[in-house]
Amino acid sequence: MLLKGLRDIASRQKWVAIAMATIVLGGILSVVSPVFLTLSNFQAILVQASVTSIMAIGMTFIILTAGIDISVGAILFVTSALFAQLMISTESYLLAFGVTIICATSLGALNGILVIRFAVSPLITTLATYSIYRGAAIHLTGAQNIPVPREMGFLGNGRILGVPVPILILIAVTILGIYVLNRTRLGVYARAIGNSERSAKETNLPVGRVTVAIYAFSGFVTGIAGLVLLARVGGLQSGIGIGIEFTVIAAVILGGTKLTGGSGTVIGSVIGAIFLVLIDNGLNLMNASPYIYDIVRGSVLLAAVAIDRYSAVRQRAALDAQRASLIAS
Amino acid sequence: MTLLRTYPALVIICALAVGFSLLSPYFASAGNIEAMLGANAVVLIAAVGMTVVFLAGGIDLSISTVISASAVMSGLVMAATGSVALGALTALAVGMVFGALNGILIGYFSLTPFITTMATQLIARGVAFVMSAGIAVKGTPFFMLDFGFMVWFGIPALTIVALVVVVLALVAMARTTWGRQVMLVGSNAQAARFSGVNVPAVTFSVYLFSGAMGGIAGFISIANLGNAIPGVGDTLLLIIIGAVVLGGTGMAGGEGSVGRTVLGVGILAILTNGLNLLGIPFYDQLIIQGILIFVGTWMATRFGSRREI
Repeated sequence: MLLKGLRDIASRQKWVAIAMATIVLGGILSVVSPVFLTLSNFQAILVQASVTSIMAIGMTFIILTAGIDISVGAILFVTSALFAQLMISTESYLLAFGVTIICATSLGALNGILVIRFAVSPLITTLATYSIYRGAAIHLTGAQNIPVPREMGFLGNGRILGVPVPILILIAVTILGIYVLNRTRLGVYARAIGNSERSAKETNLPVGRVTVAIYAFSGFVTGIAGLVLLARVGGLQSGIGIGIEFTVIAAVILGGTKLTGGSGTVIGSVIGAIFLVLIDNGLNLMNASPYIYDIVRGSVLLAAVAIDRYSAVRQRAALDAQRASLIAS
Repeated sequence: MTLLRTYPALVIICALAVGFSLLSPYFASAGNIEAMLGANAVVLIAAVGMTVVFLAGGIDLSISTVISASAVMSGLVMAATGSVALGALTALAVGMVFGALNGILIGYFSLTPFITTMATQLIARGVAFVMSAGIAVKGTPFFMLDFGFMVWFGIPALTIVALVVVVLALVAMARTTWGRQVMLVGSNAQAARFSGVNVPAVTFSVYLFSGAMGGIAGFISIANLGNAIPGVGDTLLLIIIGAVVLGGTGMAGGEGSVGRTVLGVGILAILTNGLNLLGIPFYDQLIIQGILIFVGTWMATRFGSRREI
């Protein structure tokens, strides 16, 4: 009875499945390790998940419209590079923050504009801009590692009222994301475009403007994530953001958002990112080789899509059976 | 005009070749062309696999790290046994195991190609790094090192291997039932099903094929680089996909050909080589490459076929 009830909720609210998986994994880890169930470990996990979670919130919107953004890792790197460079040349936090966030948002918007203006798929478009953005950022910094001022560390390691700042930023962006998705026209339109771009166009929704706005939003939150990451790392490093796009997409998919668009939640993506960190955490507790992480992550992702597919097939079979019995009577 | 419509990439290739020959006297020399051909054999073989997957309407993100995994496994086998033939077989087998995994999940269990191959990409990468402990595999047989430098009839041996693969793929796509079935599944899977094509089996075979190409590419990478390197495939994905779409094969399926991909690989090869000769730093090359991939793909859609790419 309880199981059936849970399954019903999970099938209606896609994020419940990943939440339950996260709780189960957390339970296992707390049995394995006595330090797991401590406040400081929870905080550490959330801080570790903050960058990918924040980026996953932006990616959720893009995948909702049946798009994809491979360039987010490059935008993350551009943000970090630009900020570090501006701090060195101007020493003004206000200017550095303002310019980097505007730049990240514009790069996202550029992705959106290219996607709607030219009939090239989002995958190819953002694959191309990934290369362009990354190249431009390395050009800007001359391929050097640049440290950031010590006070900047507050954004990554500081606390307000005992809560680490990255967690507060994550909570703020999550609330913003949930608000935009559920309470604004942008969110409703994004879902509509993902369900059927043609019907969205035929009902005169501003498909172009919504698409640009969504890619810009993703750029904006990636900019914020970039600043958090830069603060945590303590300076610009050449490896920042390489391969992170796949982790972010994995978090969104684990969170129950459909790659084909139309259905998904912000909270699911955040939990998905936390789940991925929990896996790392568990492997770390088991002293596993760091090279095994990729294998486990890939297997988990495969399992998640397989389970999702299986439940979809079963749902459809149940629906068909219902229909058949209706016709028979 | 028809030629240009089918092969829009030819325009770019000619422009680049003429431009670089004018800018650098060394560009059109035999030595440089030889080096350029040898360095791109791996990408060409992998791109052939990706093309066939694209033609069937799918995508294989795992091919880049399958190259790494099969290179590492092959390198380990060769270091242990000293047998090059066994190494080649291992590379092929590893590639085909990953291809079969993708094919079963996508073809028979109807999982989305993008996420499935993204997951197997991670798994293959993990396998490559775990098996090699993250460093280049030592003990490559001398024959492999010599093989990397062999030149037959003025063309590097590695390129000849790649060209044989290309010709076989061209024949398979153009002259066999399988090739026609792949095109049909790519352009309209439903119609293919109704006309009696076993769509899951064809889908499976396509990923098996690209896995095999990843395996061969991995083996060739050992000869090319002198060692089996676990990170060899990590940076290749952009170039492989870029070459396929630049050639004019769309991601929507059913539109394009292996021949076009050869041109796409040619464009990126000439570009990288020419920019290197001109002393352009790698980060500026990234910018130019990105712009070219986007503009080239757009041109292929705009002036070539009438399908979305």
